[in-house]
Amino acid sequence: MTSRGTPSRFLRSVLQNGVGRYVCQLKRVSIIFSKKAQGSLGVRDFIEEGVVDFAKNNPGTVVYVSPQPCRVPKIVAEYLNGNTKEELVTNKTSQQVLEVLTKLTDQSGLDIIRIRKPFHTDSPSIQGKWHPFTNRPPSAGFIRPQNQHAE
Amino acid sequence: MAAGYMLNRSALTLRLQCQLVSRSPSLTQVREKKRWMKAYTHLMAKKLKLEGPPPPKPRWQQPNWDYHSEVQAFSSRLHENFSLELLKIAFINPCYLQAEQDRRKQLGVDSETMALALKDNLQLSEKGAGLTNSFLTDWCRTSFPNLPHEGVECIVGHLTSPSVVTYVARNLGIEDLTMSAEFPVPDEVLNSTFMAVIGALEESGGAERAAFFLRDFLLTQLIGKDLFDMWIVVNPMGLLVEELTKRNLPLPEPRLIRSAGASTVLPLYFVGLYSDTKLLAQGPGETLVGAEEEAARVALRKLYGYTENRRPFDFSPQQQRQQMLLQSVSQ
Repeated sequence: MTSRGTPSRFLRSVLQNGVGRYVCQLKRVSIIFSKKAQGSLGVRDFIEEGVVDFAKNNPGTVVYVSPQPCRVPKIVAEYLNGNTKEELVTNKTSQQVLEVLTKLTDQSGLDIIRIRKPFHTDSPSIQGKWHPFTNRPPSAGFIRPQNQHAE
Repeated sequence: MAAGYMLNRSALTLRLQCQLVSRSPSLTQVREKKRWMKAYTHLMAKKLKLEGPPPPKPRWQQPNWDYHSEVQAFSSRLHENFSLELLKIAFINPCYLQAEQDRRKQLGVDSETMALALKDNLQLSEKGAGLTNSFLTDWCRTSFPNLPHEGVECIVGHLTSPSVVTYVARNLGIEDLTMSAEFPVPDEVLNSTFMAVIGALEESGGAERAAFFLRDFLLTQLIGKDLFDMWIVVNPMGLLVEELTKRNLPLPEPRLIRSAGASTVLPLYFVGLYSDTKLLAQGPGETLVGAEEEAARVALRKLYGYTENRRPFDFSPQQQRQQMLLQSVSQ
């Protein structure tokens, strides 16, 4: 598919985040893993080693740890704008799980799709919008007093 | 003969069905092609089409929910020191209390033994709304000293309108924590909850913290907004004449400055407004009347100091601001 056919958006942030103060957009993260399955070995390691530190470093994020019989361990992240994102962490080591969590913390929760322009401004032009007389000599199209020629 | 055959057949199928029904609980699992699956999915799809999708569930009814930690995280996420009791009160709406009492009555719980010891957020909400209004008005007055009273009212009205406030509240995660009788939370309930949160912040951290909160989350919505999007002026020329007479300036005189393509489908006229032979402003338009109106709007924006290329608002953090003030005092 060509890039024009894919969904796209402009560069933006949730609620002008960072203009006033920075607010971590990840509000809730649930780590779902199995107590026995081989695939969630790394997640179990992470729960023993790193989850408390992660929760302490991110007081704005509520971390839920829920062991339940499942084959595929996953991390469900919920963002302030209401979006939910799932990341599968099968066979990942403790370090890799932490990397996934850090990535989720840093994201804004907006859809990850093609961004049309890598820059954004709220005041698009200081000079003003283009019109046929921009960058033209001031004499072009100028209307003079009509009685000038008569005198 | 035929009737007997039919009867025999129906009895056969009935027996088969009976067998199927009796077989299913006894055998835990049958390894075969799941021929019932297609009919089942078809039925479920039909049901979904008839009944529509199920109603949305509030977050607190879904798994993994701990109210206390959610409230605590809300407070520290916004870098504020809310008092948690006040914050919890701020989220309880009177409609929720009413619904909860009705529910208890229906269940037959005695109201004396199981009294609802909860306060609602009415007081906090009123306080927050008052603070919001006064702060926004003060801020508008200081940043746009030339703006008349009506304009200030319109800007404040836009910022405190339900659409803007609920948009901000939804993107701050207030909707999940709000206790309301209905779900999805109605706009007016969300509005009053947001105001109650501001009231709680004022009570726990002082009016200054609340002002910074409002500046960071509500005033940022003003970025990229034009003055006349919020303030609907029907006759800008009349307003300009009023303003100029107030300032003892000569009345504006519209003159056609430039024109192009007058006989085409896309004509362009530039009208300049002169006051005392000085150019106040010029504006483009497709018709002469439109161009004159646009020129008047440009002139008003210049008079009020709300031009597009004005200096951006100051949103620097609190500590940095204090340091800058100290520096300016020491110099």
